[in-house]
Amino acid sequence: MRPQFSIIFFTTLVGMAQGLLFFVALLNIEGPVLSAPFLSMLVLPVSFILLTLSLVASFFHLGHPERAWRAAMMWRTSWLSREVIALPAVMALTAITFFCVIIGIVPTWVWAALLISILALWICTAKIYQCIRFIQEWSHPSTLSNFILLGLSSGGLLLELLLLLWNQPDIPLGISLISGVNFILLFLALNLKLWIWRRNQKLKPKSNLASATGIKGNNIRQTSMGFMGGSFNTREFFHHQTDRVISNIRKIILLMAYVGPMILLAFSMNSPNIVQIAIALSMHYIGLLAERWMFFAEANHPQNLYYQRVS
Amino acid sequence: MSTNKQLALVIDLNVCVGCHACVTSCKEWNTSGSAGPLTDLNAYGASPSGTFFNRVQTYEAGSFPNTQTVHFPKSCLHCEEPPCVPVCPTGASYKRKEDGIVLVDYDKCIGCSYCSWACPYGARELDEERQVMTKCTLCVDRIYSETLPESERKPACVLACPTSARIFGDVHDPESDASKAIAERGGYALMPEWETQPANHYLPRSIMETIDAARNAK
Repeated sequence: MRPQFSIIFFTTLVGMAQGLLFFVALLNIEGPVLSAPFLSMLVLPVSFILLTLSLVASFFHLGHPERAWRAAMMWRTSWLSREVIALPAVMALTAITFFCVIIGIVPTWVWAALLISILALWICTAKIYQCIRFIQEWSHPSTLSNFILLGLSSGGLLLELLLLLWNQPDIPLGISLISGVNFILLFLALNLKLWIWRRNQKLKPKSNLASATGIKGNNIRQTSMGFMGGSFNTREFFHHQTDRVISNIRKIILLMAYVGPMILLAFSMNSPNIVQIAIALSMHYIGLLAERWMFFAEANHPQNLYYQRVS
Repeated sequence: MSTNKQLALVIDLNVCVGCHACVTSCKEWNTSGSAGPLTDLNAYGASPSGTFFNRVQTYEAGSFPNTQTVHFPKSCLHCEEPPCVPVCPTGASYKRKEDGIVLVDYDKCIGCSYCSWACPYGARELDEERQVMTKCTLCVDRIYSETLPESERKPACVLACPTSARIFGDVHDPESDASKAIAERGGYALMPEWETQPANHYLPRSIMETIDAARNAK
């Protein structure tokens, strides 16, 4: 598939916001752990900005953004429609949490509702891809696990950075503990990604030219796709990069999204400092952009069987 | 299978000569019909590109000297279980109950392209200028027309085909020419592995079997 930059930014930004809010809600659901000023002045505004940026990014994907409201109509059948409902729900619950923090008391149900909406949004986002049964790279539960793990890892790193920025004694949490959790999340995410890449490599396409055309006989090959100048079909469903570029981007992903931040976290486990964590988060985010680019690039669409030779 | 009407095309690969008359007549009718305009980008430049509902491709099979060339028209198959319809977030993509035609409501389409990802056949094309998804309508504005003579109430591609390679009809009516052709001549559907149940069918080439039989007879 052609990597879509609007969706690359959307899924990475919203994932980071979800990860951050997930940790915050989880920590505070049993009673206040993070202080109210930290939440109201830093965490919740930053989450809301990330959610807004992701929403803006998603609009760039549409040919008719002015009709975007219509996309909430088909929630009974379409995961995309459900996502269009879940994202504003997360934003609304973030705003409600913010006002509760300002008032001074956040009821348990607000944190619980926020947690549930975040999980729902993850499921909707991943299912958009996972439910396309003939894109075999996507049509697997690992799509959802990957979105959740990378959302948690980027959100966890952001939480650690915000805690270091806040730098107040009213935080009872050990910053080393958070570094440790982030390290484990990155380690799990890395192993999942390697597993996904191995799975993708071993996938046997269910469709081939024989099933796509029904032509009887051996050695079927296309001699003309029927036009020479390209079309939506030749643009939308392929990344148009060489194998070399793809393998280089794989290396960048491993280094930037996983290994680099893990090394920085390991070195800063005892006394994390703000610069190291800021670099770790920046590397991780750039790596995530590449990872999401590759998520599209490595998805093979069976329609490409029909578009192999110009003439 | 429901008892409702399901209009479809049956394409005879024995006689298609790859002349592209169906491609151009489709474009001509639909660019000025209710589905249009089907815009062209850079039409007179080095790399022209445009929206088409129908393409004719060419394939080869076999090894020399026993090879065959197959011209293969390709358009929306109007699946009985269209995977492109449930994924549409706005309801712009729909399948008509009365005749099974899969259509796009251009006034509701937000141009997200999701339906095109959900079609394994690549039958949908986003019109670059209008930024809405477009696809074969089975000439829905021709086949029910009250102003056209009865004999012309068929899809433009069917009327244009010089070898009558395209048969139009209701594949749920066992008495229709389309159903009879499928039943008598081994009509098949594309990519049956995804269980989309395409309404359009293709009639396999029998020429190679004839040649093989003649060779074996010698």
